[in-house]
Amino acid sequence: MKIHLVTGKGGVGKSAVAAALAYRCAQDGQKTLLAELGDESFYQDYLGLKPLREGQTVRSPLGFDVALWSGASCLREYALYLLKVESLYKLFFENPVSRTLIQVAPALSELAIMGKVTSGPPRNVGPKLDYDAIVVDAYATGHFLALLKAPIGMIEAVRVGPMAEQSKGILKILRDPQITNYHLVCLPEELPVQESLELDREIQALVNVKPYLWLNKLIDFPKSLKAQGPEYEKDFFLKQQRQDSTQATIEAAFKGRWSSLPFVFEADETKIVAALAKGVKR
Amino acid sequence: MSFIARDVRVVVCAGTGGVGKTTIAAALAAQAAEEGRRVLVLTIDPSQRLKTTLGLSDSGETSDLKHPRIKGSLSAAVVNSKKTFDDFVLRSARSKESAQRILNNKLYVQLSTTLSGSQEFTALERLYEAVESGNYDLVILDTPPAKHAMDFLKAPQKLGALFQDKITRWFRDPKGGDKSFLVGIFQMGTKQVIKALEKLTGSEFVRELSDFFSSIQSWQGELEERTNNVHRLLVAASTQFVLVCSYDRSKLLEAFKFAKAIRQDGYHLHSLILNRAFPEWLANRQDRTFPSDPAGQMAAKWAGYFEERRKNSSILSELQNQSVQIRELPEMKEDIRTLDGVFEIVDRLKEQT
Repeated sequence: MKIHLVTGKGGVGKSAVAAALAYRCAQDGQKTLLAELGDESFYQDYLGLKPLREGQTVRSPLGFDVALWSGASCLREYALYLLKVESLYKLFFENPVSRTLIQVAPALSELAIMGKVTSGPPRNVGPKLDYDAIVVDAYATGHFLALLKAPIGMIEAVRVGPMAEQSKGILKILRDPQITNYHLVCLPEELPVQESLELDREIQALVNVKPYLWLNKLIDFPKSLKAQGPEYEKDFFLKQQRQDSTQATIEAAFKGRWSSLPFVFEADETKIVAALAKGVKR
Repeated sequence: MSFIARDVRVVVCAGTGGVGKTTIAAALAAQAAEEGRRVLVLTIDPSQRLKTTLGLSDSGETSDLKHPRIKGSLSAAVVNSKKTFDDFVLRSARSKESAQRILNNKLYVQLSTTLSGSQEFTALERLYEAVESGNYDLVILDTPPAKHAMDFLKAPQKLGALFQDKITRWFRDPKGGDKSFLVGIFQMGTKQVIKALEKLTGSEFVRELSDFFSSIQSWQGELEERTNNVHRLLVAASTQFVLVCSYDRSKLLEAFKFAKAIRQDGYHLHSLILNRAFPEWLANRQDRTFPSDPAGQMAAKWAGYFEERRKNSSILSELQNQSVQIRELPEMKEDIRTLDGVFEIVDRLKEQT
């Protein structure tokens, strides 16, 4: 049982890489779930799926399941599991006041999502998720760190009771490198590289697991490029230089725990995912 | 003619993460400042590079930028979420003690720093403040990073729900005495609901929650008024939304949905900017044939790729018919590090105006 959490700066291709990882796992014969977070699906259009609403799971033609998890849907599921009595559950969730309360109570929905994410391995809390691999297209940097901090903050705020126990269980799984893998997606450009270096440090400080980095959209430039020449060649030359220097920065910080993924010259998303899936084998 | 008309007082730059919102927000501001207006650009979580470009500090202070092309004034500030929130608490609380009580609440600390929705709240709070100050002719807001462009507009409502009368009444002792939260709930006849909450979260959590809600009672009036005022500001005709997007099919589909939703809810969509639509060398080149050396072959491959992506724009044809302005910006040769770089984007926008 593996959990793959995929994050990175906005716009670096997180969702494409997450889908590629899921596709790869499915191709390797693993029962795979690709989970996206939020209350509206991105993959529905991206992978051409049947309508996907929060709390639902649909099958992708690429051979894995896709689920959309929101704070509300995760909490509802968890509550039903814990309260057991349907009428009590209804009383709670159909009360408009408590429904709003759940929506806005600080950290509750982040915690519920992390509870769901970590419910695959045996933990004796929450309904069990039966997959060999769960790939989570998690949020971008800042919001992702908020997700990781939710159980840690909760343990600090509340030391006893089910909330504290639940948080400790979540954290144990997030800190187990045998179960949870962190994937940072990055581009060979200055800003995403800087953000990845910071994110790498923060994740290690929070969970003490070393993330793996995917340097996405690496262009295979011809070797013979010159600084002079037509406009396009000058542009390629500059890009190549920038690409080389970012690779050196990445190598220094991520020695042995990064790979590159090629720039895919396709406008069709399924083709991009299929091409990336070949690259994410490690 | 100005890209942003002179009677526009607020521009909200929306779009998913990584599309170049902040840079474009800065360019729109620079253009208006060049035309003699007093402009403020508010950014959230900018990169270190942009901070240097715009002379920004994390403390949330406003910096005034200098450039020979600026005829009016150009100011920039980072929205410091925690600070804006704390300021709001200090202003809204009845007494210093009650303000301190909430600032110390463990759940408040989580709310003001991590909760999704609080960044959006503080961004709008800061926007409103800036507009009300009367110091600016135009305020441009760069929105926080979000998975979907729509998240920004939903967030304040979500946070507003926190202060609904119904919820705070839950935690309010009707006689104003020093009764515990649970007694109050018992009186409301919702004991079972609380029991369920306790079973889910534990009594310590419920205690913190009770403390949190009873502390924010005093904000309620002010917050409700603020939420209404901010909404009025956002739907005013003098507030225009600029959506920044790329040519990725999924992003265009989202932009299309956003454009529809935005109008349904009564906001005004000014334009759609397709960023990094093509490399600069491709824009300047009429001839689409390239030599057969390795560099030429690569150029032909790029050209074909960008042509193919551009076909995705058929998704937007309906928008074009609805008089939404659509602009394309090239992928700039170099990263933008100075105000000169920002003005280069201004020039690209002008070429199409």
